[in-house]
Amino acid sequence: MEADLILHNRLLAQRATSRRMTVFYILGALVLILGVVNLMVGSISYKVSEILEVLFSPSGTSDLHFIVWKIRLPRTLACIMGGAYLAASGLLLQVYFRNPIVGPFILGISSGATLTVSLVMLTALGLQLTYITPFLTTIAGMVGAYGVMVLVVAIAAKVRQGATLLIVGLMMGYICSSVTSILTALAEKEKIKGFVLWGMGSFSGFKWIEISIMFVVGGLLVLAIYLLSKPLNAFLLGEDYAASMGVSIRKFRLFILLAASSLAGLVTAMAGPVAFIGLAVPHMARLSFATSDNRILVPGACLMGAIVTSLCDLIARMWLSPVELPISAITAFFGAPIVIALLLKRGVKL
Amino acid sequence: MSNIILACDKVSVGYKKPVLTNISFTAERGSFISMLGPNGVGKTTLLRTISKHIPGLAGTVYIDGRVNTSIKTSELAKILSVVMTDKAAPPLLSVLEFVSLGRHPHTGFMGFLSPADQEVVTDSLLAVRAEGLADRFIDQLSDGERQKVVLARALAQEPRLLLLDEPTAHLDLKHRVEVMGILRGLCRTRDLTVLAAIHDVDVASKVSDLVLTLKGGTLRDVGRPEKVLTAKAVADLYDFDQAGFSAHLGGIEIRGDGLAGKAFVVCGQDRGAQAYRYLSKKGYDLATGILERSDLDAYVAGALGAKVIFYEDGTDPEPVLEKATLEMEGSAFVVDGTKKNEQGPWEALSVRLLKKANDKGFKIISLGEGGDIGPLTQALEEHVSLDKQPEALAS
Repeated sequence: MEADLILHNRLLAQRATSRRMTVFYILGALVLILGVVNLMVGSISYKVSEILEVLFSPSGTSDLHFIVWKIRLPRTLACIMGGAYLAASGLLLQVYFRNPIVGPFILGISSGATLTVSLVMLTALGLQLTYITPFLTTIAGMVGAYGVMVLVVAIAAKVRQGATLLIVGLMMGYICSSVTSILTALAEKEKIKGFVLWGMGSFSGFKWIEISIMFVVGGLLVLAIYLLSKPLNAFLLGEDYAASMGVSIRKFRLFILLAASSLAGLVTAMAGPVAFIGLAVPHMARLSFATSDNRILVPGACLMGAIVTSLCDLIARMWLSPVELPISAITAFFGAPIVIALLLKRGVKL
Repeated sequence: MSNIILACDKVSVGYKKPVLTNISFTAERGSFISMLGPNGVGKTTLLRTISKHIPGLAGTVYIDGRVNTSIKTSELAKILSVVMTDKAAPPLLSVLEFVSLGRHPHTGFMGFLSPADQEVVTDSLLAVRAEGLADRFIDQLSDGERQKVVLARALAQEPRLLLLDEPTAHLDLKHRVEVMGILRGLCRTRDLTVLAAIHDVDVASKVSDLVLTLKGGTLRDVGRPEKVLTAKAVADLYDFDQAGFSAHLGGIEIRGDGLAGKAFVVCGQDRGAQAYRYLSKKGYDLATGILERSDLDAYVAGALGAKVIFYEDGTDPEPVLEKATLEMEGSAFVVDGTKKNEQGPWEALSVRLLKKANDKGFKIISLGEGGDIGPLTQALEEHVSLDKQPEALAS
């Protein structure tokens, strides 16, 4: 009787695992396909064979070579990594706060970045810093994002309750936004459009140095998150249960806040605040894998984030070509209905 | 190995300000310990201090002979597990995955289950009779089913000490009984020690080996429930004035407010119990007689706060009869629950008492077979409707 049950339960677990592996293969294939499509299409479109040829001969000199290696490949990689990191960040915070409508920017990361970027883009401050111009907004964004992160983490050490921290983060966001609003009101007209567009995010114009930083820093963070998915799973039951199972709450809480904010800050500094990916994608991953197990969801949400962001970027580039739309316009277009549907359909109980 | 799994030595608990002070008790392996006390007395705070969720303010908690704060959390998790009031039900997590989370302290770095771990998980589900729920999602279970699964998760930790905070709150009667039965059984079969904050005094009195009563910021009493849970102690613990606890019945009886008037019940041999409860519910002040001391009716009536007239066999019956007749004065009616064909000394006295009531012109309502209150409810309803009629006409 008991042996039968053990076998039965093992079978259940095995069936779930094999189902999830299939989903992984499908998502992995989609990332590759979308990546190649993103390299192929644009103002000039190329065949798959041409793209592959160029990819495997990095030292060519043709136009195609230039377009792929200098423009489309960095952008494609940025989309894949940016989407993955935002999704991982959102997942982490959703698990920590046990709240389905939390995203990576809930703690004010994007507002902080927006504030510092508005300082360099809308005021005369930018003019005095011209010697670092190519990376000016990136560096400004990083300063803002990580400035807010440090503040939030410092406050987190003082407050015990997750919900309180959530409100603190929201308030920080509002403070930053209001300062940004003041700067916008005072700014010259022609500067505002550029700033507004930055505020809606874009994966264009990535340089290889930025791609490398994103790959190394973000990759290490995602790896660390994956390796800590066991205590993260304990957090599904809340801090108290996690503590009762032997998780060191204080250290782990610090890790969650730092990792989630670092990833979101990294993407925001380089691509601007990309909305909705971090909020909606973890839910999409949860539903397609039918689990809350973070050992599945950390890689799963990364893949899903890469797919959704790649797809959105493709649409942003091609829909009203040659005009390029900001990516948040597209992600919100997809993301908002998903969030509304989730809220209305609490039967799924996310 | 000592037989003491948990000991509190002059422990004070609270958040900055002490809520409970000077708590001392010891818990033996395999025992079921209930913690009773009014809401807000600090039961949860004491549990959280024992489980190291919050630091104690003074004194020492010993778990398995060691000071709890000196045990690493990861190690403590193998000795002690908890069931909290927190409704932990993450979405899209199967019962099997949920219970598997309990293996956390025993599994390796990534938390994958070994065949031995899987066995413990299945075993835990079996122990709470929830083996059929394995592939359901945790957030789709009923309250009762979920509580059993939450218990299974705690068991999957293979604890020797299980702390539970109101494990039967929100449960229906069936699951309440089932969960308590399961816990009781685990104490016996697995040598598990259970420390539970419980609200049901009656349940606690029936399942516990040891009862702690907390009141007024400290441990009021500790000991076997038979010794600790006296009618007076329970009434004092919860500041009852409209209810009474009967140690013999192991339950709470809710008293009437006496606003409906006074009623005298003549009965005995368990036939009055239902009538007492019904009249009490309807707001009558009760008096009853003439009873033998060991009659079940006497315990129910006592818990309901009724004035009970006793007769000791072999003594002079006349003063007792006199007392009962006096007590009857002022009653709105007299209920007759006597068994006509029996002729013990109490029945004989009861029959004489009824005759006196009749002579004095009291309205007498007879109960049905075996103390059936049907005729009584009917009579009262008619009475009430008569009372109300003029009012209805006036409006």
